[in-house]
Amino acid sequence: MNLLLLGMNHKTAPVEIRERLNIACTEDFNPLGEILAIPGVEEALYLSTCNRVEILVRSREGGGAEERLRELIFRHGNLSGAELARCLYVYRDETAVRHLFRVAAGLDSLIMGEPQILGQVKDAYRQAVEREAAGIILNKLLHRAFRVAKRVRTETGVANHAVSVSYAAVELAKKIFGTLGDKKILLVGAGEMSELAARHLLKHGGDQLFVANRTWERAVGMAADFQGTAVEFPRLGEVLREADIVITSTGAPGYILTGEMVAAALKRRKNRLLFIIDIAVPRDVDPRAGDLENVYLYNMDDLQEIADENMAIRKEEAARGEEIIAAETEEFLAWFDTLAVVPTIVSLREKAEAIIAGELERAEGWLRNLRPEDREEAALLAQAIVNKLLHDPMTSLKEETREGAARAYVAALRRLFRLDGAGGEKGEA
Amino acid sequence: MDFYLLLYRLVLVAYLISTLAYMFSLLSRRVTPAKAATWIMAGACGLHALFFLGQWATRGYNPFLRLNDSLSFFALVMAGVYLAFQFRTKTRVLGVFVSPAVFLLMIVSSVGIGGPLTAPETLQGGLVSLHAMLSVIGEALFALASAAGLAYLIQDGLLKRRKASRLMKLFPPLRDLDRINHICLLWGFPLLTLGMVAGSIWARTVWGSHWQWDPKQIWTLAAWLIYAILLHQRLAIGWKGHKSALLSVVAFVVLLAAFLVEKYFFTTIHQFY
Repeated sequence: MNLLLLGMNHKTAPVEIRERLNIACTEDFNPLGEILAIPGVEEALYLSTCNRVEILVRSREGGGAEERLRELIFRHGNLSGAELARCLYVYRDETAVRHLFRVAAGLDSLIMGEPQILGQVKDAYRQAVEREAAGIILNKLLHRAFRVAKRVRTETGVANHAVSVSYAAVELAKKIFGTLGDKKILLVGAGEMSELAARHLLKHGGDQLFVANRTWERAVGMAADFQGTAVEFPRLGEVLREADIVITSTGAPGYILTGEMVAAALKRRKNRLLFIIDIAVPRDVDPRAGDLENVYLYNMDDLQEIADENMAIRKEEAARGEEIIAAETEEFLAWFDTLAVVPTIVSLREKAEAIIAGELERAEGWLRNLRPEDREEAALLAQAIVNKLLHDPMTSLKEETREGAARAYVAALRRLFRLDGAGGEKGEA
Repeated sequence: MDFYLLLYRLVLVAYLISTLAYMFSLLSRRVTPAKAATWIMAGACGLHALFFLGQWATRGYNPFLRLNDSLSFFALVMAGVYLAFQFRTKTRVLGVFVSPAVFLLMIVSSVGIGGPLTAPETLQGGLVSLHAMLSVIGEALFALASAAGLAYLIQDGLLKRRKASRLMKLFPPLRDLDRINHICLLWGFPLLTLGMVAGSIWARTVWGSHWQWDPKQIWTLAAWLIYAILLHQRLAIGWKGHKSALLSVVAFVVLLAAFLVEKYFFTTIHQFY
């Protein structure tokens, strides 16, 4: 198949080296032109993200494509030979296919199962298509990779469990409220993490945001940012009656929401469910509030623990993803095999036709002595013998294709009949 | 073989498969088997309706006067209403409580299938049918309310534990369960009430009095009172969530006890039921 994949990722290369190589993180840079210029390279894909650089090419048999690609990386990254050897991985054919599938499905990512990488692979493919760097094989391979990624995401839980604190909060909110469409959020205090959580909640449908802060100006400023409503700090108890999700992250030394406050608010809100996320350290909310019926109180440690446990779940799910990828790799190779069989049969037949034509031409002299009908008979006889001779090997080859083991037969046939002249090459391309 | 018997067996097998698929979903902590289970259950429910209505129409007798047919109707209402909820909110795993109940009801109801009418001739009439039908629908809705309540209690416990779990992921959101609980109570209560009123009017025409101190009447009234309190607290005081879920499970246990206790320990004018 002559697929060759060279690359480095966050596991194999330290960030300084990746930085040097992937200017693409900051600039629009794509060396596809240079890669295609390497003799023997017929199709190419260049993928570069902040965590990885991958070059996938399909080259003609023989030729030093790998060396030239190494040189290219060497030059671009300004790397020493030792660094390059340490960081670079090289995959061929089957392993290259598997690696591409794993990357697209997010199984090779720093955060297991993260979805962005699929978009990045799609971008890389789009660029390859635009520059006409993708042909039959890469087209098929990449589309297959997209399908595999989708399967892994939907059939396993590898992307399902929130692995960041703020997403864990969103997931919990959904388990409590179903949809967040009509939910009011109260943000108490400022902080990167709490604002991120609020942003996620709003993005997932949160209806309205209240912002409370000890400093009124700060509250007003943040409310403007989020298009929410600023609330004076002493009115916290009142807003607690309205809000469904409360995020606290003040620097206060004591509890700003006591058990009594929450209990009183709960009564006035007719026991509607209340989800309190306490991101502050030291804590802002009296833990006794969490013992109240219909109140769900999570602090920073709870959320972090959930995110960690979810990561462990994702890793378990990844094992199922690997099974899907193994099966899909197998299937892709089988498809590739059928691709090789048809041209082989064609070139075999072409060779036979050429031999018949040649022999008939050489026999021209004595054939001329025959009657025209006999001359035709002789030509048909030659044709029949050749057809009979080729019939069995060709049928066997087709059968083997169905059983997925044709590669060895194709290779043997090509060697035995010396098909890999100009004709064979043409057939495969 | 009799067409209806064949249909009945088909329904039974389909409910069984759907039950097993739901169980598998719960054990493997995956939602895919539950999705399949839902569709199988929908198919079973459709055939079940065909079976029930077909028998009613072709055999020309009143299905609400026989215990086994009433149980089958109970199962049909439960399955149908559950599926209606399921297609509106994605509460798939709730089926893990509903489908076994439906299956068991169908097994029990199969005992007397095709047998003679169990109710004496004197008790036949439109009002008795209405009494039986409304009561069965009301009780089936209460059964669903308690299933949703049970699922609520489990999910509530998981959320209070503050740990990541696949089970939490699998179980429906609290609010959806609470809404199912709410709607089932809201519809079940008036239907059961009407059913009881119809029964009592009929009782007066037969026995001369609305109330016979029959054990079934007493138990049912007790359960009815619990539901009345529950609904009142819910609507007026705002007993949402945990309390309402817990009480609807308790109330249903009482209702179930009413059925079993009077069946095995008392003689009752409801003995054919």
